[in-house]
Amino acid sequence: MTITPDFVNDITMEQLEADPYPFYERLRKEAPVAFVPALGMHLVSTRELCEQIARDDENWPAVISAAGGRTFGPAALLNTNGEEHRELRDMVEPHLQPSAVDKYIDNLVRPFARERIAAFENDGHVDIVEAYCEPVSVRALGDLLGLDDVSTDKLREWFHKLSVSFTNAAVDENGEFANPEGFRPGDEAKAEIIAHVDPKIDKWITQPDHTAISHWLHDGMPEGQTRSRDVIYPNLYVFLLGAMQEPGHAMATTLAGLFSRPEQLERVIDDPELIPRAAAEGMRWVAPIWSAVVKRAARDVTVGGVDLPEGSIVMLTYGSANQDEHAYDAPSQYDLDRPVKPTMTFGAGKHACAGTYFANAVVRIGLEELFEAIPNLELDTDHEVDFWGWGFRGPKQLFVKWEV
Amino acid sequence: MADKYTVRVTGQDVDLTVGEDQSVLDAALRANQWLPHSCTQGTCGTCKLKVLCGEVDHRDSPEYTLTTEERDSGLVLACRVTPRSDLVVEPMGAVDDGVPRHPLRDHEGTVVVLDDIAAATRRLVVELDEEMQLNAGQYAELLLPGTTLARQYSMANPPSETRRLEFHIKLIEGGAATEGWIFRSLSVGDRISLRGPLGQFHLVDKTDGPVILIGGGTGLAPLKSIVQHALAEDLAPELYVYHGGRREVDLYDVEFFRELDARHDHVHYRPVLSEQDWDGATGMVTDAVVADFASCKGMSAFLCGPPAMVAAAVKALKRRRMAPKLIFKEEFTVAPPVPDVDAAAS
Repeated sequence: MTITPDFVNDITMEQLEADPYPFYERLRKEAPVAFVPALGMHLVSTRELCEQIARDDENWPAVISAAGGRTFGPAALLNTNGEEHRELRDMVEPHLQPSAVDKYIDNLVRPFARERIAAFENDGHVDIVEAYCEPVSVRALGDLLGLDDVSTDKLREWFHKLSVSFTNAAVDENGEFANPEGFRPGDEAKAEIIAHVDPKIDKWITQPDHTAISHWLHDGMPEGQTRSRDVIYPNLYVFLLGAMQEPGHAMATTLAGLFSRPEQLERVIDDPELIPRAAAEGMRWVAPIWSAVVKRAARDVTVGGVDLPEGSIVMLTYGSANQDEHAYDAPSQYDLDRPVKPTMTFGAGKHACAGTYFANAVVRIGLEELFEAIPNLELDTDHEVDFWGWGFRGPKQLFVKWEV
Repeated sequence: MADKYTVRVTGQDVDLTVGEDQSVLDAALRANQWLPHSCTQGTCGTCKLKVLCGEVDHRDSPEYTLTTEERDSGLVLACRVTPRSDLVVEPMGAVDDGVPRHPLRDHEGTVVVLDDIAAATRRLVVELDEEMQLNAGQYAELLLPGTTLARQYSMANPPSETRRLEFHIKLIEGGAATEGWIFRSLSVGDRISLRGPLGQFHLVDKTDGPVILIGGGTGLAPLKSIVQHALAEDLAPELYVYHGGRREVDLYDVEFFRELDARHDHVHYRPVLSEQDWDGATGMVTDAVVADFASCKGMSAFLCGPPAMVAAAVKALKRRRMAPKLIFKEEFTVAPPVPDVDAAAS
């Protein structure tokens, strides 16, 4: 193993959550595969190596970070491989295929988006994350799953709590969790979720309907059998966290990026067909799932010039890969007109995001409705744009204003 | 080199025959195969297509509208490009939006009216030999006699007048079409050649909300067509017509619109002067709109005039929260600089 440079030894979770970019810029330059004691695993930071490992299932089966495993439990989509993973994908994918999404997405997202906008459109200013991006994001997926009876604020509370636990990754010198209390919010959320969803599952078992959880229970199962709750819950947590939170992050991040380029914002508002491109660049600029994908070396491997023994755990940092100077010019700038190149935003290989099309559609429709209703939207410069997060990243709040 | 090539547009079932040195757009519109387009002179980029297969000549496609990078990725401007082999092309946006389309045709006609109506502004009325079907707001290209030049002018007549085309023409200093022809030698009784209709600036369907029309100078022409059509077909609950000029001598058709305003409760006419005090509204026409409306939510707008006026109007309407997709624009565009410098007015 190579010697760990001091800057890697000294980094803390708090620093990473506040602003991971300077640290990762140095990692890409000096130690693209680096063991980080604060996290107890190797970080992979360049575009090339992230993609290589993401696509290589043979040498690099997917696992889950220790904190992620502690939060979600076993047998979630994220940490299964081979046939077991394929079966779980078969469970969740039918609802997420483009042809399926196209049929329901407008009715799922637009009415609620309009309702939210109507609630604040005459106020002239709002924190758009709290008032719009997160509610639209969670409501869309909540209703799709069958959680239409859970309030938007409760869904937001659940993903915030799961998020805190999932990224509670710090370990001490013995490799034990440095902050075990950090899992309490996630445990509370899970207890509430089970209490709410268990009776619903009882009902779906005998009375299936069009909701995703109902389909997960029944699809592909022999007559008279349904999938075990042990399979349903870990994957429900995956959805409640990543899929609920991230379209909201993507929407807010895209807005923040466009606010940094007012002339590009103007063009996108005038021509809604540019919204998908604007959102893709937003998600390149600050990847919503910034640093959450973990893989394990199935055998001794050499990657990026570093020898790793079998069993080594690496974390792929898509947020860093998306700002790799070898792949993108001026990578830290938001630029709508940047040549379109693939990014790592939705991962790669067999574990690439199953909800890519769904998420893009939610973000697109959310921004279409917002720009149509408030075409004079601008950044409220009385507040700073405050991005936060290392595992998942986006503006904590984003204050906007407009003339009324 | 073949005289003709076959061009297949994906999603359309008819193959186009495109002659040597004919643009793909021209061939498509003549065959009544709609392709999105606006200026037809290479400046707006609305007509971009992707060539999936075949060789092309971009001809005079300007670099600022179609970059080298775009050319390398197979994009072309339908209004400029001509095939050098059979082609398969793909439109960049949605093509079928349910709007009625009328084929592009060459027309001949006779000048029946040529009047001075405002400072350096003439009304030209052409009696066509054959009918032209058009949507209210579209334009035609007048062909300059003895040259290969064409200049674009919007029709001010409603679509119901298929044989009688009305144009409003502003004198452009040194302009080949205006100073060199329409304001010099053209006379009532002269024969004239033109082609049309062109463009996608039009009012076709009934609107739920009020419609604001803002014209600068001869930008009033397509708006006059739209207002007459909207009244005849009862297409809009309210029509607000703003006409901007520098001085009173720049305004025209004032009586026409005042009468519409008096006769119809839902027609409102507001001329606005930017450089003369009078008993009407003064200042920039776009500022007048901002002052008149607290909110434009749910309304739509038709804007025609110089690019700066159109840009200011878009800004003003967005400030009043009009949805950008309901703002329709037609800008005066400068004619290509060869071989004569001219500017086309709508």
